[in-house]
Amino acid sequence: MRTAAGSIAAAVDQAIATVDDPEYPGISIVDLGLVETIDIDDATARIGLIPTFSGCPALALIADDVTRAVNAVPGIANTQVVWLRSPNWTADRVSAVAKQALAIDFTVAVRIGPDEPSCPRCGGDTSPRSPFGPSRCRSISMCESCRETVEVMRR
Amino acid sequence: MIALRDLILAFADDEHLIGQQHTEWIGVTPFLEEDLAFSSIGQDELGHAALLYELALELDDLAPSDTAIDSLAYERPSDEYRSSAFTEYTTNDWAETIVRHWVYDQAEMLRWINVTGSSHQPLAEIVDRVTAEEVYHRLHADAILDSLLANADASSRLVDALERLAPLVPTVLASVDGEDDLVKHRVIRQRTDTLLPDLVTNIDIRFGRTITAPTPSVGRRSRSSSFAPLMSRMREVFDIDPAAIW
Repeated sequence: MRTAAGSIAAAVDQAIATVDDPEYPGISIVDLGLVETIDIDDATARIGLIPTFSGCPALALIADDVTRAVNAVPGIANTQVVWLRSPNWTADRVSAVAKQALAIDFTVAVRIGPDEPSCPRCGGDTSPRSPFGPSRCRSISMCESCRETVEVMRR
Repeated sequence: MIALRDLILAFADDEHLIGQQHTEWIGVTPFLEEDLAFSSIGQDELGHAALLYELALELDDLAPSDTAIDSLAYERPSDEYRSSAFTEYTTNDWAETIVRHWVYDQAEMLRWINVTGSSHQPLAEIVDRVTAEEVYHRLHADAILDSLLANADASSRLVDALERLAPLVPTVLASVDGEDDLVKHRVIRQRTDTLLPDLVTNIDIRFGRTITAPTPSVGRRSRSSSFAPLMSRMREVFDIDPAAIW
């Protein structure tokens, strides 16, 4: 049997999972590995997030979205969101579900480790074109097979 | 405590100003890849400045809200800034911009290494994330120098730019007052101004040329003539509505 505190915690988890990354509508910040700690103390929720890059301009927006979502949970009166100084975000925090959605919906590959990722469209080899891309957490590669421009999410 | 606060502000102010200098190239760099690079690198440096301003606010027992960070970044009297003439200097010369980008990131790395394992825990905590991001800055600066230094015309422009910047270089590694105490308490490994020979050596190796004027610069109490016009441009939008939430 669930305790009342347990069901509030589950509802807070669910609420946070409804918050999408503003860069990737439809992909939750939980699946992108941005959520590090969730502490609930009576009616206060403290959420610790980590940024992909410290200069990401979406940080305030994401914190506002989390605050709004968690404050809507019955039993929570006060939500505090903090951006933690550690640990570092790394691309291996991205879930399998998010990787698939990034590939299909955004033509974004996720690079883990030193190897170049395969093309999200055709599976071909990609080669890097620019270390800097449309947002701080993405670089630009090109598929050697289908010539698609591929954005690569990486640390 | 004053020395620690000054040390953090000196780093934050330099990060803030170089970030701003980089962003001024958005839309006007010679080619698109450089637009992306300078906007990304500038964005990182502004992010690092915000992290450091947070540390300064914590020392003052102030909550690190965006408004408080903006207030430190934009609203101090000029004699309370601790920035260097190197980052205050404003140029519309692309060669100087590339050279300063490379030199600044070398100096910055020396400063981060100097606070690695710092006894001031919050400072030690941010080193990993920041230095992981800085890798891309140095890769970029080296890549563009690799290709430009191989071309005779570009190379001579870059070396001329380096000569013009040389007198300002020591200022980016100027110490704040009271750094000897910070060394004693292991906040930093060594005085910031003693990092200068390492920077000069790196410059020698990269450009094949020894820069003149490697005299350590004295302190960070005064601003160069570039500061006031730069700050006024930086505050142009902020001043329209200082209380706005962005």
